[in-house]
Amino acid sequence: MSSIPHKVRRPGFITVGQFFQENQGPLKLKLIGENAGSLRKIQEPSINRPGLALSGFFDYFAFKRVQVIGNSELAFLEGLDKNARLRRYEALCGWDIPCIVVARGRIVPEDLIQAANKAGISVYQTSMVTMKFINLATMRLDWAFSPSTTAHGSMVDVQGIGVLIAGPSGSGKSESVIGLLQRGASLVADDAVRLRLSEEREVVGSSPDITRSKIEVRGLGILDVARLFGVGSVRLSKRLDLIVHLRVGIELHELERVGAEVRTEDILGLPIPSVDLPVAPGRDISGLIELAALNFKLKAFGYDSAADFNETLLKKMANDQLG
Amino acid sequence: MMLEKEFTITNKNGMHARPAAQFVKHASQFQCEIWMEKDDEQVNGKSIMGLMMLAAARGETVKLTAEGADAEKAMKDLGDLIETGFGDVE
Repeated sequence: MSSIPHKVRRPGFITVGQFFQENQGPLKLKLIGENAGSLRKIQEPSINRPGLALSGFFDYFAFKRVQVIGNSELAFLEGLDKNARLRRYEALCGWDIPCIVVARGRIVPEDLIQAANKAGISVYQTSMVTMKFINLATMRLDWAFSPSTTAHGSMVDVQGIGVLIAGPSGSGKSESVIGLLQRGASLVADDAVRLRLSEEREVVGSSPDITRSKIEVRGLGILDVARLFGVGSVRLSKRLDLIVHLRVGIELHELERVGAEVRTEDILGLPIPSVDLPVAPGRDISGLIELAALNFKLKAFGYDSAADFNETLLKKMANDQLG
Repeated sequence: MMLEKEFTITNKNGMHARPAAQFVKHASQFQCEIWMEKDDEQVNGKSIMGLMMLAAARGETVKLTAEGADAEKAMKDLGDLIETGFGDVE
């Protein structure tokens, strides 16, 4: 059985400008001085406190990371005389660092702004406490650097289960999504789903901004789900739990009949459970997808219908043999 | 057979709804798999939603991939379509 082909993107860097654009709100960032280095690259998804570097020790200096200056660095610098301080700033900015962030809303020293801007480095200020900033920025950088892909299929949240409906064009993906929406499911994305590996432990699906809440139904065209079904029918993102493949013209012997085997397929390195549903006239595909999602939920709760049934059968046969 | 080729979008308003629909109409006539790629993002060439999500503007380059028995024919037909500005749609 074919799985979902997907081309994986692994960003090797993001630019400082991108980082600022996407995080200025959550990380409470403000540009101080000139926008001198927005094209510089952040090449590692973590943060460095340049305390040792500011004291003159540059062995093992993690210069590829965002440099955060907190209270202790500022206190140390304040203890130096003006010229020494300036030399430390220039030494720091002599490295190919992406940018400098001063935390706790502390006033950014004028010398630092000048030294940095002169070297083509932007300086930002955040009102967050240093540790909080480091934690959140690390998480957000991790997200920005995580592998992602675009899958051909539609994704819905069915009773809390994130289901990706895959299948060739014309197999009825969008139509079954409409059926599911009418049963109370909500749409994540139609026909093209962004999937991203989150913290190496789950795959999260979302819609590209431009197609969010839109669905294409043959014969009707592009519809807006939030306007037709209410805004509750749209989800911004959802963890991927189950893949349902719609199979056209599939032979009966190719199908799983007992449901005892759990098949998984690789998405961004994680095994995701998947099932095949044959598409044929008269089969209520939406109903079957909902059933697949509910059965998955039951298994997640620890109950496996197929295994339970087989156990009962084995027990009965063992008893019959004895008697 | 698998073919890959790059094309530049030439029509005035880029690949919006109507050009995308044109493309899908053409692409769906072929048996082979068709993919379109822009900036490392690859979508199914038989999906209107996928194509529109790329938001390929005039002057931008897209890469077509066709895989299957009639890939050569598909690549010729779809390439012509892009290069002629999707049949004069604005």
